Amino acid sequence: MIARPAVVLRSVKKSFPLRDGKTLEVLDIEGLSLPVRSCTVLRGRSGSGKTTLLNLIAGVSVPTAGTIHVDGTEIFALPEARRDRFRAERLGYVFQTFNLLSALSALENVMLSMMFADAVPKREQRRRAADLLAGLGLASRLSHKPQQLSRGEQQRVAIARALANDPPVLLADEPCASLDATTAREVLAVFLAVCREAEKTLLMVSHDDSVIGEADRVLDIAEINSAAGRNGSRGR
Amino acid sequence: MTIFTVAVKYLRARTVASVLTALSITLGVSLVIASVLLTRGIKEGFVEGTTDYNLVVGAKGSPTQLVLSVVFRMDVATPNILTRTFRDLQEDPRVEVAVPVALGDAFQGFRYVATAPAYFASFPWRQKKFSLSEGRFFRDDAPDRPTYEALLGFETARRTGLRVGDRFYEGEEMAEYPLTVVGILRPTRSADDRAIFFSLASFWGMNEIARRMPIKPLTAVLVRAKRMSDLPSLNRQLNVSTETQSVFPSAVLLTIFNLLVVVEEALAVMLAIVAVIVLLYVFVSMYGATLTRRREIATMRALGARRGTVLAIVLAESSTLAIAGGVAGLVGGHVVAYVGASVLAARSVQVANPLLFGPLEPAVLGSVILLGILAGMLPAVLAYRTEVEENLAPLS
Repeated sequence: MIARPAVVLRSVKKSFPLRDGKTLEVLDIEGLSLPVRSCTVLRGRSGSGKTTLLNLIAGVSVPTAGTIHVDGTEIFALPEARRDRFRAERLGYVFQTFNLLSALSALENVMLSMMFADAVPKREQRRRAADLLAGLGLASRLSHKPQQLSRGEQQRVAIARALANDPPVLLADEPCASLDATTAREVLAVFLAVCREAEKTLLMVSHDDSVIGEADRVLDIAEINSAAGRNGSRGR
Repeated sequence: MTIFTVAVKYLRARTVASVLTALSITLGVSLVIASVLLTRGIKEGFVEGTTDYNLVVGAKGSPTQLVLSVVFRMDVATPNILTRTFRDLQEDPRVEVAVPVALGDAFQGFRYVATAPAYFASFPWRQKKFSLSEGRFFRDDAPDRPTYEALLGFETARRTGLRVGDRFYEGEEMAEYPLTVVGILRPTRSADDRAIFFSLASFWGMNEIARRMPIKPLTAVLVRAKRMSDLPSLNRQLNVSTETQSVFPSAVLLTIFNLLVVVEEALAVMLAIVAVIVLLYVFVSMYGATLTRRREIATMRALGARRGTVLAIVLAESSTLAIAGGVAGLVGGHVVAYVGASVLAARSVQVANPLLFGPLEPAVLGSVILLGILAGMLPAVLAYRTEVEENLAPLS
C-alpha cells in the first residue's frame, strides 16, 4: 500500500493587492506533494515566496486559487475556526525569530500550544511540556522567561512548542537564521533528530549546507514557483 | 493553561501598568461607594436622630438653627427663653408632655445638655428608647440644691474615658463644683450619644457660679400634643408670640433633605465624569498593551488559537483588572466612608451604617465589570482582527 502524501498542493496561486489597484502574484505552484515522514528542505532567494508557501500550508494565509491538502484534509474547505483547530492539532510551526510569548515561561510557552488543541489531556499537559523541554536539554530552564534564555535555548523552546501536540507535519522557516553558526548546528541537529525519531513530515526553509545534506529532498522555490520567474524576487 | 491564566500572566508581565490601571478603578469605585454611603448615611442619620416630639419651641430666629442645635447639636444654640414658657406649656391642656432643654458649653467637645428626667422617659408613642449601660440617671434635684450629677452619652464616655464615679469640670471657676458621672447610656444612634446630660438645677447652679447669672434660662421646650388636631393652634399661638417660635422638626428635616438632593445631583455629575475618565484610562491601557503585542497575538493564531480565543484573552485581562479594582474599591469605599463618618461625627453629624453592605455593592461591582468589558472591547476586537501573515513577517 502506498502511503498518502502528508501535504499536497494543486494549482495554488497567491496574489497580494497593490496600492495602485493591481495585484502582485507571488506564488504559482502547479503541483507539490510532500511524502509522509519525509524531510524536505526548501531554498531560494530572499523574497521568492518561501514564507508565503509555508503560511499557505499552515492555513494562516488564504490562497487566491488552488487547493491544499494537509494530512488528507483540504484545509481551506474548513471554516476558519475549524481550520484553526486543525492547525493546532496537525501542524507544528517553528519561526525564524522564535516568537515565544514574553509573559510566559518556557514551560508555559510549550503548554500554550496544547491549550489550543484537544490533543493532550489537561492533566498531562504540564508533564508532557516538561518532558519535551527536558528532551531538548532544557530541564533546568522550565521556569525561565524567554528573555532569560539564550537564543539557542529560545529556539529549542520553540521546537518543543511545535512538537507539543504531536502533529504529523512540521513547518520551519529558517529556524536557525538568527543563531550563530555553532548554536545553529547544535539546534538543527537536535531538531532533525527529534523529527526523524518521531517520524514527522518536515518542510524546512534553510540555506544551510549541513541541513541540505541531511534532507530527503531539496526543493528550489524558483523551480516550483512559476510566479518567481515572472516577478523576480517580490514574494515574502 | 487557560484563557484566564494567560490573561493573568500578561497582566503580571506589565505589573506597574496593571497596578496603576487597577488603582484608578479602585479610586473611582471608592469615590462612588464612599459618596453614596455618606450621603445615604447622613440622610438616615438625620432620620434616626430626629425627635419623637411634634414641636420644638425656642426663641425667635431661624427654625433650622433651632432644630439643628436642639435636636442634632449641629449649630450654635438659639437665644434663651424664659422658664415661664415651659411652665405655660406644661399647664396647657392641649399638651401631653413638655420637656425643657438648656444647651450649655462643652467638655472636650461634648455638649452640656441640661434637661428633666422626662427627656429619657418611655411613652407609648415614642420610638426612641434610652437605657443605661452603667450606673443610673441623674436626680431631678430641686432648683436651689443642685447635685451636679452627670449622665454621659455612649460616645462621650468612650472618647473621654470617663467612668461612673469620675469627676470633671470645664473652666477653673467650676473646680469646686465638678460634675460627677452617675451613669452611661447605651448607644442611641443620635446626637445624644455625644452629649453630657445633667439636671436644670445643676445647669443653673453652674451659670450662677461661672457667669454670675442669677436668671434660670432655657434653650427650648420639646412638646408632644395630646391630639394631632391641636398642633396647628398650638403652633400658631407660639409663633404669634414676640418671644418664641414653634417649629415642626419634620419640616426642617425636609428642608435639609432638599438641600442634600442638590448635593447628590452635583455628586452624581462628578461621579459620572470620574467613571468616564476611569473607563478611558482602562481603554488606553488595554489598547496600548494590545498594540504592542500584535506579533504575539499573531503567533498564538499561527499556533492554532481561534480569533475568539485571543478576543477572550484581552477581555479576560480587562475584566480581571475591573474585578480586582472593583473589589478593592468596595473595601476602600467602606474604609473611606467609615473614616468620613468618624470625622463628621466629631463635627456632630451623625452618619448611619457607614460599613453596611447592601444591594449597592453588587450593583456597583457588576457595573464596574461591565465597564471593564466595555473598555476592553475595542482592544479585544483589535486582537480578534489581527492578521497572522501581516504581523508575523520576519523582523529585520
